[in-house]
Amino acid sequence: MPAIPPGVADAPRAPFVTLSALWLVLTGTLCNLRCTHCLNASGPDEPWLAPLDGAVARRALTEAEALGVREVYFTGGEPFLHREILPLLETSLAMAATTVLTNGTVMTDALAGALAALAGASRYSLEIRVSLDAAEAEANDRVRGRGTWERALRTLRTLDARGLLPIVTATEIADGAGAYDRFRALLRGLGIAKPRVKILPVFPVGRAAGAPGVRLTDADLEGFDRTTLQCAETRVVAADGVYACPILAGLPGARLSDGALAAALGPAVLYHEACATCHRTGATCRNA
Amino acid sequence: MSSHGGDVPERVSEHRRIAVLGGVYSNAEALAAVLADTRRRDAEAVFCLGDLGGFGAHPDRVFPLLREHDVRVVRGNYDEAVAAGAADCNCGYTDPRDNHYARLSYAYTVAHTSATNRAWLATLPGHRRARLGPHRVFMCHGSPRRINEFLWESTTPDGLLRRLLADHAADVLLCTHTGLKWRRALDGGAAHAVNVGAVGRPENDGTPDVWYALLTGGPELEVEFVSVAYDHEAAARALEAEGLPREFAETLRTGWWTTCLENLPARERARGRF
Repeated sequence: MPAIPPGVADAPRAPFVTLSALWLVLTGTLCNLRCTHCLNASGPDEPWLAPLDGAVARRALTEAEALGVREVYFTGGEPFLHREILPLLETSLAMAATTVLTNGTVMTDALAGALAALAGASRYSLEIRVSLDAAEAEANDRVRGRGTWERALRTLRTLDARGLLPIVTATEIADGAGAYDRFRALLRGLGIAKPRVKILPVFPVGRAAGAPGVRLTDADLEGFDRTTLQCAETRVVAADGVYACPILAGLPGARLSDGALAAALGPAVLYHEACATCHRTGATCRNA
Repeated sequence: MSSHGGDVPERVSEHRRIAVLGGVYSNAEALAAVLADTRRRDAEAVFCLGDLGGFGAHPDRVFPLLREHDVRVVRGNYDEAVAAGAADCNCGYTDPRDNHYARLSYAYTVAHTSATNRAWLATLPGHRRARLGPHRVFMCHGSPRRINEFLWESTTPDGLLRRLLADHAADVLLCTHTGLKWRRALDGGAAHAVNVGAVGRPENDGTPDVWYALLTGGPELEVEFVSVAYDHEAAARALEAEGLPREFAETLRTGWWTTCLENLPARERARGRF
């Protein structure tokens, strides 16, 4: 694990406003894929950020409900590799709308059926975000691995057939301008009548991290409403602590607490290059 | 028409029955029909939870109707943006397709709202309070904490509603902004949340009718959603005559949303045609 980088102490802060979104890094960095741009360098080897214990996840959900959380996100790694994902989803959907971010390569008909049953039993929305990086197989598979495009498309069709209306989430790494429209056309071509697409910028973190880059200063944020940043309303529970940003989970400089969620409701530290990307692009890690 | 300024209209009005509507969206034809309906149903007061502009063809025709019926208005994000001459409507969309149509609507609305009406929009309060029998009612546009927060039925947990009500010393929360109505009783009916929907756009249910809410005080709060048919064909033709996107007219005619639906959660999106 990297050490606390220099500059954290002097970095600008974003105030904590309210807990709107709770993220659970369910499988840590355990994933069956090894994408070239992965935000937290997940992969099939021994994860550098451990999976979340089910009891810790349940405790975080209970805490978040008491804090008035609005929505919950399950991420990883690949969250469908977590052995307790279905019971955890059931717990989460009993209290709030819940989203699972998946690479779409481990879905089975049985799992899709179980998800549809959970969605049907809840008053809250279940959202499944499926990652792709290009609307064409070759470009996508260069980033995500051979055969991933075809498997993800099969998952999209399966989920859509179950009425789950998956959201394709893509980074701008492989597909340039017009990616949004190309993805919509791709989904329509699959027979998906309600194509849902979310495009994210590439963040300089994880496997996409380069040489040290531009970081935010208080001068950069002059006149900017810091409460509009995602980290003002987001907390992320990982195996080793609580963070304000899902893509910085596991990085010591970003950790707010090593225990309870309630201990992590102070300001977020905007020390990372990814904070500059978030500020510059206005990106949201939420569905909308 | 009331004209409280700022964010502190803490004068609490007391009523037996009120009509509450949201999202007028420049649809003067629908607003006129709804206001006529509220009179027939014995509403003592009519409240509008904001977003007078956007989408429809005749922004300035909305204001005299509100005045004539003494409607008490809460400021919506659209009203705030139009009043301030902001760069965009601050609707809170993140999807490119949603934002495309939102930009067209906003530019049209700003260009067709008089300076007098823009100045009046700037005087609207951010929230209002009322009493319905024993019930303390808090009225806002999006949510009590953010003017453009979308409180969809399927993404608004009970825990959040309890917190918002407690933070604002209320038993009943009334909001709009999503354009889709819903209601929920909490804690055995001790508290309530009602999204009153919109009168400027149909309910994404395949009928062109629009909806508002009628609330009656008493030991138990009564909430009734009322649907109103209006001359949607005239409103659709007006959109076409103004050169606004044909998708807007299609929505008014069919009752299915064709635009600004990419931010719908899965549950709400599944109910519509598109």
